Amino acid sequence: MSDVQTSLTFRANAARAIKDAPLRSAMRQAADTFGAKRADAFAPVADLEALRDKASTLRLQVLDRLQEYEEMFASRATRAGATVHRAKDADAAREIIAGILKDRSAKTVVKSKSMVSEEIHLNAHLEKAGMEVLETDLGEYIIQLVGETPSHIIVPAIHKNRRQVGRLFAEKLGVEYTEDPQVLTKIARRTIREKFLNADAGLSGANFAAAASGSLVLFTNEGNGRMVTTVPPLHIAILSLEKMIPSLADLPTFIRLLPRSATGQSITSYVSVITGTRKPGEATGAKELHIVMLDNGRAEILSGECREILKCIRCGACMNVCPVYRTVGGHSYGWTYPGPMGIVLTTLLTGMAKSHPLVDASTLCGACDEVCPVRIPLVDLFLKLREQRVREGFSKPMEKRGMRVFGKVAASPSLFSAGQFLSRTFWPLVRAFGGKDVAGRLPGPAKVPFHRRVP
Amino acid sequence: MTSPDLLRRFLENAGNAAAGTHAVSDAPGLRRVLSGIVPGTDPVFCPGLTDKEKAAAAALPCRAVDYAGATATVEEVYGAIAETGSLVCVSSGGRAVQAGLLPAHHVAIVSRERIFATLDDCFASFAEGLPTNITLVTGPSRTADIELTLAIGVHGPEKLDIIVF
Amino acid sequence: MRVQLFGTCLVDSFFPEVGEATLKLFRRFGVTAVFPKGQTCCGQPAFNAGYADDARAVAAHFLSVFDGDAPIVTPSGSCAAMVKHHYPDLFRTDPVLHAKAERAAGRIYELSQFLVRFLRAHESGLAGKGTVTYHSSCHLARSLGVRDEPLILLQSMKGVRFIPMPDASRCCGFGGTFMAKLPEISCALAEEKADSIVATGADTVTGCDAGCLMNIGDAMKKRANPVQVRHIAQVLAEEL
Repeated sequence: MSDVQTSLTFRANAARAIKDAPLRSAMRQAADTFGAKRADAFAPVADLEALRDKASTLRLQVLDRLQEYEEMFASRATRAGATVHRAKDADAAREIIAGILKDRSAKTVVKSKSMVSEEIHLNAHLEKAGMEVLETDLGEYIIQLVGETPSHIIVPAIHKNRRQVGRLFAEKLGVEYTEDPQVLTKIARRTIREKFLNADAGLSGANFAAAASGSLVLFTNEGNGRMVTTVPPLHIAILSLEKMIPSLADLPTFIRLLPRSATGQSITSYVSVITGTRKPGEATGAKELHIVMLDNGRAEILSGECREILKCIRCGACMNVCPVYRTVGGHSYGWTYPGPMGIVLTTLLTGMAKSHPLVDASTLCGACDEVCPVRIPLVDLFLKLREQRVREGFSKPMEKRGMRVFGKVAASPSLFSAGQFLSRTFWPLVRAFGGKDVAGRLPGPAKVPFHRRVP
Repeated sequence: MTSPDLLRRFLENAGNAAAGTHAVSDAPGLRRVLSGIVPGTDPVFCPGLTDKEKAAAAALPCRAVDYAGATATVEEVYGAIAETGSLVCVSSGGRAVQAGLLPAHHVAIVSRERIFATLDDCFASFAEGLPTNITLVTGPSRTADIELTLAIGVHGPEKLDIIVF
Repeated sequence: MRVQLFGTCLVDSFFPEVGEATLKLFRRFGVTAVFPKGQTCCGQPAFNAGYADDARAVAAHFLSVFDGDAPIVTPSGSCAAMVKHHYPDLFRTDPVLHAKAERAAGRIYELSQFLVRFLRAHESGLAGKGTVTYHSSCHLARSLGVRDEPLILLQSMKGVRFIPMPDASRCCGFGGTFMAKLPEISCALAEEKADSIVATGADTVTGCDAGCLMNIGDAMKKRANPVQVRHIAQVLAEEL
């Protein structure tokens, strides 16, 4: 699995992906399916716009008082029996988690899906420390077996077709080849069930953290999230700071928005609310619960002009409607988070120097804005990042000069006319200079521009 | 919303999520439904703590000692939610929520009076001192991770039956 | 009624026939169209690429040319959206220009929007021929909320059969500077759009934005039976 960020070669990544017919077909199918399902799922929902407003307001409420909610969450979770750790960055988080596992001589870890754990490359670190980490979400299990990274935040193995999965299972698990998804699923159930029951620890993410009660909330369909958080004696949860909601009373708004936005389900098979450790007299719950709250750059984003990206609830709806994402797939973006929200989060978390080509990965069509359940103004954020890129000196000098010229020419009628005359006269040169990519696709300039035809 | 409406809405939404749904009004009715959905030869776990669980247990010929080795669990749950067709399973009172997770077949008994209209009502019902685990269960476990093809029965139960009593 | 016509830089330089068709439509509906001299561009190319200062220079020029109270009408959804949604904020630190920007934002309309809302052109017996399908440009639909007006106009034309396009509102891949920066993706999207168009069987595809139509036209060039690509102004003014 490559931990190297490849966002700088976005254009080349994309060009390669475009030639990959099976990948494009899979991405198209996913986008069309989820897009249609989302529309169907929201059709009977009365006043979707009010729901989105409410969700946006709740998330902003938390962001505006993040430290306060963070402290509230930590103290309530601790009161309920959890141990809360704060990790400033990826290194700290990895060390904390590895440390907890080593202290308890935990060797086998079962893991349910967590994008944040991908962000900090946790698996690789734990494996180096001698632990066995098993992904239990079917999609993550598949890509772990094949040694790749997720290409979609909801369906990580969307880029693999059933034949590829069948061959993978036959090869790695020694089972008879089948390409029937139902049978493949049963094979995974059998193989992973054993691991659940014998694992030393469970590692999970969290979709939300309710501050008032110190609770973790997990949305899952497969049941692995439930297994991971209740079967092993030790449960470690990692989540990024901004995942909080004020209280469980606010959870229904997100239950109504998240599954529909992500897969078109009205609700996931399971919504688990975990509050602390097993209490006296209880027969459910981890004996030991550690919650790692990760910053890794979020506090800085919070104080910047793109802070609204922190409202994101990781539903994937923006990806499902993005014309660019459907064409190039998740891996092209070169880091953990792809698609529209990925452009913003990747650039802000990893820095312009490592990500600047991503800010161009949008036609500004606005389809993402239309579907974001928490009303993140993604197009506005792209524009802000493009301005930031220019300010920080990551735009090509020729482009900068060209835009300066444009600014002068288009602000002066006589220069504008002269420019039109020159490009008409020297069009073949412009074509050669601009290359077939641009000028080759433009029709030639008109002999008589419109402004000369007006009486 | 009136009680019959609530019940109807709950059963409809639960059914749409691929749960088997049944409504009974007495212990004989409960036993009839159980004998229909749980094969007599399979080891079934039933906690036998509540009155309704005791009534159910009487209809189960093969009782498992523990949920770990059972093919099915028959248990009464905390409540249900009409809005989403969900069951509400909680860990208070010494209940093992895993009993409805590990076996391949989960049979949940829920009292008519314990059907909440909305998600909000459900969360409002918990006073201070939340149980360690509250799980909303809607249908059997599922995935669409392979080619977006729906497969029922992944890590959690492959089959869910709900009996409103 | 008097309006100020903003031709746009693309129409001025590459598609003057669209400007001429727009003038024909105004004449037909008794509208006196003034073409303020010295107009150039709305500044989008610089703004979308992150060059706010350069965009501001162009926008300030626009505001000096388009003074007054008459409605500003333009055959471009993206240009109307630029003025309406971005001009006020561009000048947030300059009270005089900000006020001008607000006024311009409050009186600018895209052509089809203006034709339906103010001129009831769909009730005036426009005519044409052939079969036509429609591409819904992104800024037009999502920024300006103009989704129905073009359809209303096309469906009102005697002699024209309208065929809806599947995925009509999916981006064609133009995206202004996007076309130049990520041409592989732009072309791939244009190809998908061309597929949708060809699938309708229509002989003409139309839209309200010259940029989109130019991108679609490029994809169409490579097809065996290319569909004709025309701006909605040209379709509506066909038999005038």
